[in-house]
Amino acid sequence: MSAITIDQLGLRYPDGSIGVAGIDLDVADGEFVALVGPSGSGKTTLLRTVAGFLTPTAGSIAIGPDVVANEQLSTPPESRRLGMVFQQHALWPHRSVGRNVSYPLELAKVAKTERAKKVADVLELVGLPGLEKRDPSTLSGGQRQRVALARALVSSPRALLLDEALSALDEPLRDRLRLELRALTQAANLTVVHVTHDRTEALALADRVVVLDGGSVAQIGTPEDVVRAPASAFVARFLSDATLVDGTVAGGIFTSGPLTLEATGSGPGTLAILPTDIEIVADGGVSGTVTSSLFGRDAADVVVRSGEVDFRCSVRGPRPQVGDAVELRVLRSFFFPR
Amino acid sequence: MPCVRSTIFLADRVTCVRACLWLAVLALIGAPLAAVVSIGLGGNHIQELLDSGIASAATNSVVSAGVSAVAAVAIATVMALVLDRTDLPGRSVLRLILLSPLLIPPFVGAIAWTGLLGPSGMINSWWNETFGGGPLWNIYGGDGVIFLLTIHSYPLAYLIVSAALRRVPGDLEQAARIAGAAPFRAMRDVTLPLLRPALLASLTLTTVSNLADFGIPALIGLPERYVTLSTMVYRYIQSGTVARPLEVVSTIGIGLLALAVVAVTVDRIVGRRSVQLDGAVTAPQVLSLGHSRIPAGIVAWLIGLALTVLPILALATQALLPAPGVPLTWSNLTLQSIESAVTAPGTLVGIQNSVMLALGAAFVCGFLGLAIGVVTTRTRSRDNVGLDLAAMLPQAIPGLVIAVGWLIIGRYTGLFDTRWVILCAYVMAFLAIVVQAVRAPLISTPTALEEVARSSGASHLRSLWDVPWKMAIPAAITGAVLVALTAVRELTMSVLLVAPGTQTLGVSIFNLQQAGDYNAASALSLLVALVGFAGLGLVASTRVGRP
Repeated sequence: MSAITIDQLGLRYPDGSIGVAGIDLDVADGEFVALVGPSGSGKTTLLRTVAGFLTPTAGSIAIGPDVVANEQLSTPPESRRLGMVFQQHALWPHRSVGRNVSYPLELAKVAKTERAKKVADVLELVGLPGLEKRDPSTLSGGQRQRVALARALVSSPRALLLDEALSALDEPLRDRLRLELRALTQAANLTVVHVTHDRTEALALADRVVVLDGGSVAQIGTPEDVVRAPASAFVARFLSDATLVDGTVAGGIFTSGPLTLEATGSGPGTLAILPTDIEIVADGGVSGTVTSSLFGRDAADVVVRSGEVDFRCSVRGPRPQVGDAVELRVLRSFFFPR
Repeated sequence: MPCVRSTIFLADRVTCVRACLWLAVLALIGAPLAAVVSIGLGGNHIQELLDSGIASAATNSVVSAGVSAVAAVAIATVMALVLDRTDLPGRSVLRLILLSPLLIPPFVGAIAWTGLLGPSGMINSWWNETFGGGPLWNIYGGDGVIFLLTIHSYPLAYLIVSAALRRVPGDLEQAARIAGAAPFRAMRDVTLPLLRPALLASLTLTTVSNLADFGIPALIGLPERYVTLSTMVYRYIQSGTVARPLEVVSTIGIGLLALAVVAVTVDRIVGRRSVQLDGAVTAPQVLSLGHSRIPAGIVAWLIGLALTVLPILALATQALLPAPGVPLTWSNLTLQSIESAVTAPGTLVGIQNSVMLALGAAFVCGFLGLAIGVVTTRTRSRDNVGLDLAAMLPQAIPGLVIAVGWLIIGRYTGLFDTRWVILCAYVMAFLAIVVQAVRAPLISTPTALEEVARSSGASHLRSLWDVPWKMAIPAAITGAVLVALTAVRELTMSVLLVAPGTQTLGVSIFNLQQAGDYNAASALSLLVALVGFAGLGLVASTRVGRP
């Protein structure tokens, strides 16, 4: 396994639109990094550039000690010694499970007996021992994705790239595979870059989360960091459904129209309040009306309208009903000056 | 309970429609085939046929159709991979240029190529003058037949292969790249095996259609006594050298039918083994040709232009010269041939007949094909497969057999020597085009759309009419236009079915060429080719802006 070093990486498409710009990212050896962001944020572009399917127009990528792409050169994907799992598993329907998995070894000219042993081992590793002879079309979605993972791992790649690898699976199965993937990558000390649009998945799996927005990095940090200390209003909104209010802070008081709240900072900007940082209190807070109240496992997801602002709150205990008049107290907020 | 009764009654209406469709299919497709088989089995003419050289004609047919089909599929595969997957310069324009033989009827192509590669054709005379030693290559004969059949069948094979290539998800090849395969290795290991069913399907289709072609072997093969089954049948019907021509040609027809059945069966068996592909999620990677990009582009463009522009130039020159052999100078050019060819009464009747027949066939096929498509894809019934197969069957039957079938039916029904018998043959032969065109959009439509109509209060028949029928009308129109374009220049069936006064455009051109009036034949051919190109331009311009 190797580290991946991405330096000032930029990719501009021939039509002039920007795929990614100014990306700096060091993935340590054995680290699990999740790229997350809304669609069009450049997360897939970044992954495909690392894989070698796209050629950057600026900056460089190194895998271990080897520079694989910069302004002058771009090593083709087949020479980068990476493993990759695609969203739709991309198993070859004309090859059996065993021959799908053994293909990278065939290309590396590994002897037949050794190939069979490695295939058996890796199928065992992903929890599908003895399925070599099966036709991929007879497998379930989860099994197919495991075979795809086995194929990506069989030739001991320098890093594993996952492109929405779990997104095509149904919820309970996705959850289980998430757990297994984490255990497997930790045990084998794999360097993993995982692209997902599912923020819960990114936060659950990754050592570090990279939040992308419009082709640039919005924040890099551990799951705890990015949730507890968002670097921008966008990150707070995207990862935690924070309520964003534009206004001005002066003397420790944030003002937006009739709304006033305590806040740190000064000048005009955006205030972000995480749902978990809002409490419903008996009185003495911001008054509003409940416009939506959804049941949640740990806490209800409640929207309270106060003036022009919809506050998204995470409410533990008794769930308020739509139409209830409530008082809100903001425990904590982040102010991002403009 | 009125509610229950009305449900039964409404279900019956759909069944009525289904029964009508079955009747139409049986009358238009089943009857002529049954006629061929029963008449063919009626008398034993095998010895008679053997004496007149059926064995060599059959060999010639099978060899020319088989070899040209293999060559066409090989060309089509290379074309699909190069034009659809690499960064060859100007590939989208080149694709249209290379598809153009599709728009030129095979017999017009034959007339054009004889102007280039006939013993005194343009290329051969130039070669003889420059290097001496006689012509470069005489196109007349078996090799020329194979060459021209290949030229006129690779575009269709390309369309099939390229459609299949588009259905191969890009990530399958990318997974191979990541696994360590170089671009061409990934193509060989992943893409080509997945294309195999399509390659086989296109091979069957081109073999069957080349087996039946009449224009090319008649114009290119016959001068060198290269007889195929189709030219042999023509001779039997036209010359009256045998006592019972219909029985004799029906015997040949049964043989061709048997060949077609074998081809379709093989195709079905292999097709069933084909693998199921998920939808293409990832767009395929465009392959960079690197340093060979420019040289490859030049070679591809030269081949493309040679195959398409040269024959048109040859046609134009012949059309603009007053008589064969007149040297090509500005002062010798004249529009006389074109003028006299177009205004000749025979031609006028031919054009009129062809246009009427094409429009009629397009209308009937459009209506019937759409109805069959809707009923077979949007209702549940055990006989759907049968109806669908029956409608698609003529696609695998050489046009020759269809024509013989209608010759026989014509004799018994009094349709003989009328335009109606030609129209019936066209409808039988081209119905499959519309069924195929409407089937794709109909199959991919969720049944929920009709269920919504039903729950809104529409009867079963009404929901079929309001939703799938109306949704598939654009596809049916596309199919009908294709039918019209194919029918307007048809030769193989027409040449056997025409009578004085009912000749079609194709037959007019063929007769002019046979009579040695090359300039008039070229003039008309040029017009047919140009109309084809105009059609291409129309299609291309409507495609602009689409991804």
